[in-house]
Amino acid sequence: MERRKFLSLTLGALALAVVPASVRAEDFRKLKPTVWSAHTVDDAIKNMYGTTDAIDEGVKLTTPDVAANGGAIPVKFSTKIDAKTIAVFQDANPEAAVCVYAINKYSVNNYDIKIKMAKSGTITVIVEGKDGKLYRAKKTLEVALGGCEG
Amino acid sequence: MKVKPKLRKGIVKVKAMAKNEMITYNQAEKKFGDREKADFITHLTGTVNGETVIDISTSQFLSKNPIFKFEFKGDNFKKGDKLLMNWVSRLGKTGKGKGKIK
Repeated sequence: MERRKFLSLTLGALALAVVPASVRAEDFRKLKPTVWSAHTVDDAIKNMYGTTDAIDEGVKLTTPDVAANGGAIPVKFSTKIDAKTIAVFQDANPEAAVCVYAINKYSVNNYDIKIKMAKSGTITVIVEGKDGKLYRAKKTLEVALGGCEG
Repeated sequence: MKVKPKLRKGIVKVKAMAKNEMITYNQAEKKFGDREKADFITHLTGTVNGETVIDISTSQFLSKNPIFKFEFKGDNFKKGDKLLMNWVSRLGKTGKGKGKIK
């Protein structure tokens, strides 16, 4: 009985260990906790990628020039770059990070989200290419009515 | 959560909405007098037939009841397959939803 238990436990552990990468989730809040507590965009990018050096091309970012409601600002971004991760930051709230996408083999990198900003500021989208380089797009917008005090 | 995937020309376009207040640290302090009561979605994933098609780590700065629009390649999937989505919040709440690819 003991041995059977031991065997099933070991097999279970092995089965867990060989879960293919395609179904393994990457929670960047656990992997890189400092990204989420950083107060400036530069610090957050540095904590995420180790550098802030980025090329200003290859990323398309669309937001309204003036957002009437800071509680739900539509942010669209896309890229054709073969990406590993895509991260969104802004400088209007107490912390900088908004979200990080772990790109998979099925991804078509065309996204649309709604974010909160307490005041006018700049949104930065960073695409980490599989070539190891960072690509960046920035957009400054005016927020007429701040979103829920950040 | 609501999940609506549509397959067109080999690409599945998804519109998904999660129900969550997305309470920031500042809002928690104002509302409950305790920053630690901040509660928002921190991680969201979606799978079709066991394959991950979306994986997002998120912060408190997504809007209340956030909407996620994203796309993925549909070559390996067909209409009728189900997209299952799950999220987990900072204080451990979870939510899920599924939608048939149309």
